[in-house]
Amino acid sequence: MWLPFSATFERNYLVMRRAFPWSFFLGHILSGVYIIVFAYLSYFYVFRGELNNRFISSAGTGDYLSYVILGGLLYSFSVSLLMIVSRAIITELREGTLEALLLSPSSRKGYYLGYMAQGFMRVGLEFFAITSAGYFFGLHLKNINWINIIVVLIVLILATFTQALILGTFMLYFRDTYITQNTLFVLMSLVCGITFPPAFLPESVALIGEIMPLTHGLDALRMVWIEGKPLSEVFPLLLKILVLGIVYFPIGAVCIKKMEKIVLEKHFG
Amino acid sequence: MIEAKGLKKTYTISKKAGFLRKEKQKVKAVDGIDLTISEGEIVGLLGLNGAGKTTTIKMLCTLLNPTAGTISVDGLDAVCDAMAVKGLVNMIAGGERMLYWRLTGAENLRYFGKLYGLHGLELEEKISSLLSQVGLSEVSDTPVELYSKGMKQRLQIARGLINDPRYLFLDEPTLGLDVPVAKQLRETVKNLAKEQQKGILLTSHYLEEVEELCDRVYIIEKGKIVLHDTPQKITETVVNEFHVSVETRTLSALEQSKLAKGLPSCKIQFLPSSDGTILEIKAPFDPTSIIIAICVEQKISIQKLELKRPRLEDAILALAKEKSA
Ligand SMILES: Nc1ncnc2c1ncn2[C@@H]1O[C@H](COP(=O)(O)OP(=O)(O)OP(=O)(O)O)[C@@H](O)[C@H]1O
Ligand SMILES: [Mg+2]
Repeated sequence: MWLPFSATFERNYLVMRRAFPWSFFLGHILSGVYIIVFAYLSYFYVFRGELNNRFISSAGTGDYLSYVILGGLLYSFSVSLLMIVSRAIITELREGTLEALLLSPSSRKGYYLGYMAQGFMRVGLEFFAITSAGYFFGLHLKNINWINIIVVLIVLILATFTQALILGTFMLYFRDTYITQNTLFVLMSLVCGITFPPAFLPESVALIGEIMPLTHGLDALRMVWIEGKPLSEVFPLLLKILVLGIVYFPIGAVCIKKMEKIVLEKHFG
Repeated sequence: MIEAKGLKKTYTISKKAGFLRKEKQKVKAVDGIDLTISEGEIVGLLGLNGAGKTTTIKMLCTLLNPTAGTISVDGLDAVCDAMAVKGLVNMIAGGERMLYWRLTGAENLRYFGKLYGLHGLELEEKISSLLSQVGLSEVSDTPVELYSKGMKQRLQIARGLINDPRYLFLDEPTLGLDVPVAKQLRETVKNLAKEQQKGILLTSHYLEEVEELCDRVYIIEKGKIVLHDTPQKITETVVNEFHVSVETRTLSALEQSKLAKGLPSCKIQFLPSSDGTILEIKAPFDPTSIIIAICVEQKISIQKLELKRPRLEDAILALAKEKSA
C-alpha cells in the first residue's frame, strides 16, 4: 500500500507544480470568502446586528460572525477534499490512463490516500487563505486550542474521505462531475448549518443534514473554536462523525470498485 | 502458456427508445474463442473492424471479465487470481493514451514501476535501461506532452515492459506511426519474443507486419475464429492464384500462340513495351518452370521474370469476398 501511496502522491505533486489548478484553488477560496462576505453584509445591513433568541439557542453561540466564518471555512474545506478524492478515477478515465492503472496489481487504498494526502497541500493553503480572510471580518484567533481543532479536523477528514468514495461512484455512474458534485454541494450548503442552524429547516430536510459528516464537524469545530469547549464535550459529535465514516467506508469502497469494472465495460476504444 | 477456452463476451448496451424509456441490447463481441500463446512466440490476431480483437485482448489482460469461458495464464485463472495474473502480463495499445502527459518519460515509468511494486535502485536502473532500449534516454526529462506520436508510442512500450511481463499484448501498436519508426518497433517486438522469450499477442491492420512477425495467426470474424494457421499456410490455402510477369524481346504471333498453348489453364496477356513484350500470367499453380521451358525451346531470351507471391493481404481480401458472396 505504501508504494502506490507514494507513487500517486509524487505524481500529483509533480502535476500540481507544473499545472497548478488555479481555477479550483481560487474557486474554493472564493466560495468560502463569499459566504463570509454575504453573511457579514446581511448581519449588519439586514438584521442590523440583532440576533433573535432562537438563533442563539440553536446555534449555541451569540457570535454570529464567527459562526458563519467557520461555516464558510469548513464548507470550502469539505468541498475541496470531496472533489479531490471523488474525481480521481473519472479523471483517469477522461485522460485515458484508467486502463493503465487497472492493469497494475496495485492497492487502490494507497492510491486514494496518496491522492488525498497530496491534495492537502492545496487544501491547506486554501484553509489558511480563508482563515486569514475570516480574521479580517472578525473571526477571533486568540486563546485557541489548536490541538482540539486539529483533532476535530482529522476526524472530519476521515469521514469526508469515505463520503468522497460514494460521490465518486455516482460520478462514474453518471459519467459526469459537474452536475453530480454541485448537487451534493448545494445540498450541503443548505442542510449542514453553514450560515444558519439546521433547526431552522423543516424537520425532514434537517434529517438529511444528520447524515452529512460536515454538519457534526461544524458543530464540533464551533464548540472548540468559538466557545473553547474541551474535547470531552464534543466527543459525542466526533463519535457521530466516525459512525458515519464507518458506515460509508465499506459502501463506498465496494461500490467504486464495482464501478471501475462497469466503466471499463462501457468504455469504447 | 496462456490458454483461453470458449471465451465469450457479451456487452449490454441500453438504447434510448423514446422518452425515458430504454431498451437493452446485447452485443456478442466475442463468441467462443479458443487460443493459446506460448512463451517466445508471436501470435497474430486478425480481423476486420469490430471483429472482437480489442475485446479479446482486454479479457486476456484482466481488464474485462469474460461472460463465459476460462483464461489460464501459467496455470493461474485470470478472473480468480487476477492480481497475480496482472503481474505476469501487460498491454500496450496504439494511440497516445495510457500515459500522463504532464509527467516526463522517466516520471511516467517511475509511477508505473511503483504500482508494480518496484522501488529504489532497482527501479531507477530499470527505468534507465528501458528508456535506452526504446531510444528515449535523451528526452527522459521532457514532459510527454512535448513528445511526438512515435516517441509516445515507444514510451508506451517501455511502460508495458516495466513489470518484465512474461506475456505482452499489443493492440495495433504501430497505429499512425511512420515507416521507419514502425519498422524499428517491429524489430523491438521480434527481439522481445526471440531473445527475451516473451509470449506476444499482436493485432494489427497492417498485414505485412503480421506476415513478417507472427509465427501463428488467428483470423476472427464476428467474435469467432474462422482460420488458425501460419501466415504462409493461410495464404496458400486461401489464395490459389500465382501471378508471374515476364519481360522478353518482341514476340511474334506464332510464339505468342505457342506460349498460350503451353499454359492452357492460365490467363495470359501480352503487353507491348518499349523494347519488347511483357507477359502477364495468372495461374492456379506456380507456372515458372513451364514458362522457362517454352522460352528455351523457342529460343526466347528472358530479360526479367518476376513471380509475385500471394500475400496475406490477398488472403484476407479473398476471405472477405467469400463471406460477402
Ligand atoms: N464497451 C462496449 N460496449 C458495447 N459494445 C462494444 C464495446 N466495445 C466494443 N463493442 C462492440 O463489440 C464489437 C467488437 O469490438 P472490438 O473493439 O473488440 O473490435 P476490434 O476487433 O478491436 O475492432 P477494431 O479493428 O475497430 O479495433 C464491436 O461490434 C463493438 O461495437
Ligand atoms: Mg480494436
